[in-house]
Amino acid sequence: MERKIGVYICECGPNIAEKIDIDKVIDALLPIEDVTVVEKFKLLCSAEGKKYLEEQIKKQDLTHLVIAACSPTEHEKTFMEVCENSDLNPYLFQLANIREQCAWITEDKDEATKKAIRLVKAAIGRVRYHSSLEKKEIESNPDVLVIGGGIAGIEASLQLASSDRKVYLVEKNSSLGGLVTNFEKTFLGMKSASDVINRKINDINTNENIKIFTNSEVEEAIGFFGNFEVKIKRTDNENGSVEFDVGAIVLATGSTLFNPDKTPRYGYGKLDNVLTSLEFEKMNLSGKITLKNGKAPKSVAIIHCVGRDEKGYCSEICCMYSLKFARYLVDKIPNIKVTNFYSDLCIPGKTYQKFYDETKGNNVEFIRSFDVEIIKKDNQLNIRYKDENKVKKSLFADMVVLSPAIEPAIDASKVAEITGISQGEEGFFAEEHEKINPISTSTEGIYIVGCAQGPKNISDSVVQSQAAAGKILSSLVPGRKIEPEVKTSQISESFCIGCKTCISVCSYGAITFDEAKKISVVNEVICRGCGNCVAACPSGAASLKHSKFNQIYQEILEAVK
Amino acid sequence: MNKVKGVIIPAKTGIRKTIIDFLEKAMEKGVFDAVIIPMKLPAGDSFAYVLVEDKYLLKNAIPLPPTMFVQGAKAISSVTRLGEGKMKIAAIMRPCEIRAAIELAKLGQINLENMTLISIDCPGVLPTSDFLSNPEKNMKLFDDAAKNLDDKIMRPVCQICDKSSMVSGDIHIGTLGAKKDTVFIISNSKKGEDIADKLGISLKDNIDSWQDKVKSISEEKQKKRKKAHKDLKVKVGGLDNLVEAFSHCINCHNCMRVCPVCFCRLCYFDSDKVKHRSDDYLQKAEVKGGMRFLPDTALFQMGRMMHMSLSCVSCGACEDACSMSIPVAQIFSMIADETQGLFDYISGRSLDEPIPLIAYKEEELEEMEDAND
Repeated sequence: MERKIGVYICECGPNIAEKIDIDKVIDALLPIEDVTVVEKFKLLCSAEGKKYLEEQIKKQDLTHLVIAACSPTEHEKTFMEVCENSDLNPYLFQLANIREQCAWITEDKDEATKKAIRLVKAAIGRVRYHSSLEKKEIESNPDVLVIGGGIAGIEASLQLASSDRKVYLVEKNSSLGGLVTNFEKTFLGMKSASDVINRKINDINTNENIKIFTNSEVEEAIGFFGNFEVKIKRTDNENGSVEFDVGAIVLATGSTLFNPDKTPRYGYGKLDNVLTSLEFEKMNLSGKITLKNGKAPKSVAIIHCVGRDEKGYCSEICCMYSLKFARYLVDKIPNIKVTNFYSDLCIPGKTYQKFYDETKGNNVEFIRSFDVEIIKKDNQLNIRYKDENKVKKSLFADMVVLSPAIEPAIDASKVAEITGISQGEEGFFAEEHEKINPISTSTEGIYIVGCAQGPKNISDSVVQSQAAAGKILSSLVPGRKIEPEVKTSQISESFCIGCKTCISVCSYGAITFDEAKKISVVNEVICRGCGNCVAACPSGAASLKHSKFNQIYQEILEAVK
Repeated sequence: MNKVKGVIIPAKTGIRKTIIDFLEKAMEKGVFDAVIIPMKLPAGDSFAYVLVEDKYLLKNAIPLPPTMFVQGAKAISSVTRLGEGKMKIAAIMRPCEIRAAIELAKLGQINLENMTLISIDCPGVLPTSDFLSNPEKNMKLFDDAAKNLDDKIMRPVCQICDKSSMVSGDIHIGTLGAKKDTVFIISNSKKGEDIADKLGISLKDNIDSWQDKVKSISEEKQKKRKKAHKDLKVKVGGLDNLVEAFSHCINCHNCMRVCPVCFCRLCYFDSDKVKHRSDDYLQKAEVKGGMRFLPDTALFQMGRMMHMSLSCVSCGACEDACSMSIPVAQIFSMIADETQGLFDYISGRSLDEPIPLIAYKEEELEEMEDAND
């Protein structure tokens, strides 16, 4: 095939023009084999520039296009669209970054020009070996599986369900609502928690586009974004299993509490009237805060940060609900004395400080303390601790409430295994990126919300659920097909020895093993083209469609020559 | 890893016959349905691995033949590459062959499900070309050398082999340190103990004299090995010396074909990917003013070092197969010791040790990170 490579250099206004001797670059490129045209232009990404490129591709009858301009993250897509508009396969194009990598990094015009020549030559060397790649489209299912029927799962379901999108909500317990159903009030506003949760549960029960499965667990979720096959098991019914297809999955499996049994110095499980925060919430909801002997406590100690050292993280919400407990007690039991033992207070944001200031005083005391230990002395609970100056002190109380660390739900690891989502060091599901993709996972189409992702209060959980819903609503539109990654990996049948190394390094579960042929096979719909398998394959069987050995080799060859 | 256990059994009829009797008995009792073992071929001057289904054929078996035409791991791989069969098979081989088999099992090229690996204390093997110069004479020379633990006529890598008694399969037959007319049956795996159990052999702890002898031999060999590698490194260390060392290479790729752990189905260097247009070669020649042909001979060896030095068992098959007398195996044993040492890995030591290539550790090889500082 006769190649006609067109090279266009963008002046990027003064950005490139002033720092690189573009005419010198043009002179260096013109003699290169297959290069039929080298031109410069003021601003290729402008409407005018794009029109110019489209005309050039047609007029010069180009087979390949090289543009020397800015970073691919900036305008690679722009120029690929230009290619499409002029009937040139967009993968027969290569962008050389002579702005960020040459113009912007030195004042030495001569050096910048030399490097620009190398980079454009490398792009030409590479583009010569590019092949056309075709975009694919696949049908997708707009329905969604939500695992976990707590506040996060309920919110996600409500946001997602519509006449053209079914939501399957799977809850392992017999009823919906999760932890929030145990609360009398929520902190800050001290508003009724049951108002909030019951209204949501009512909404969900009456929404005909949400199918609720209580007493149920997900057994299988196989597939990829747009096409997951799900199987659930009814735990209250031996033979009850249900199968359905969805396009996306929301993990809202919530949390559990660190078991204070593991730290014997708190006396939990051995001493009467030592409760966990959840036990206290339940007692409060039942209407009466009493001691084991039926009397109301005259003094209560609330121990913050239980299990924080063991877990190695702050659970974010314990300080706030501990303050709420102080409010419950002060409001309900006249003259009660409440003492908070904390090692660090976590009261961030625009409103928490105010809540703390309002709670403090009024018989509510805060003591910064370390090495807290609870023993029974003179038939009363005695809290022994070291104060800020490491001085040993102690205090008596009728009741002790422990605020333990928040842990991932007990069956999180099972859900992780079924869905192929990895867990972080602390056991919470791993987000794709802590900062910029906090609810996505390494598997496209699977999202994590609420305490399944990390300790969180109600409003943050709701925010995440709404965010996940937004992601799904915008990417999984009923009737619209999805376009999987084009620049995927492929595994050569004749090279593959079936050692399965690639399967162990694939973060997306995109590689399966063909037992009949004893070779690995890439599912191109799931593959994101990261190249892990290519690097790990010991027999050179895996390759990336758009970063083939020879493409990289020729590129490097020109760059270092 | 399990504790090594063993027992002394009588071997009045000689070691070869004792091993054969052991296998016959195991076949009779249905512990194995078949055996892969080296046999003397009818011509009398040649040996091959045979999958023996009829136990009466075992009488021709030579568990420790004087040469290694085919590395045993390749034989096992041929049998089980496509998954385990219904037959329970025992493979009787030298320790380096068993270790290669374990490496291949980790790479999915061997299925050990129904396979029992049996190794024997190895005195080394003769280089193929030496043996073929006069088979009859050399068979006798080998037997005498083996008896006297004299390794001077063995393959160069056998002379520096410190793992010739390594127990990494299921059962090991020990001859070192044994009193007259006895051998040791040794195992460090549950599978091996179960098999011994079925044969009425109960493994105990009385293998001290074997262990002592093995220890002293391998320590002595280790010293020899270190010295040999040190001397070799002076000769072949550095890119220029290495290219020089492989300068006779005729690109026949025999070393790759006979290598038990060269597991690729199609070698990259045999593929179209290394065939270039003449303009590309001209471009390469331009850089240095000239280019040697055939191309990529040293690159091929370096590629092989990168690919399989982590699994290399220093068996010496490559060197035997080299028609240009390049000390391939010696060079590879040196490289292998260094690369495996980086990861505290010994090829074929245990099935439970993952090949470093696929074992991910967040912190490793930190000493390499600052190599250019």
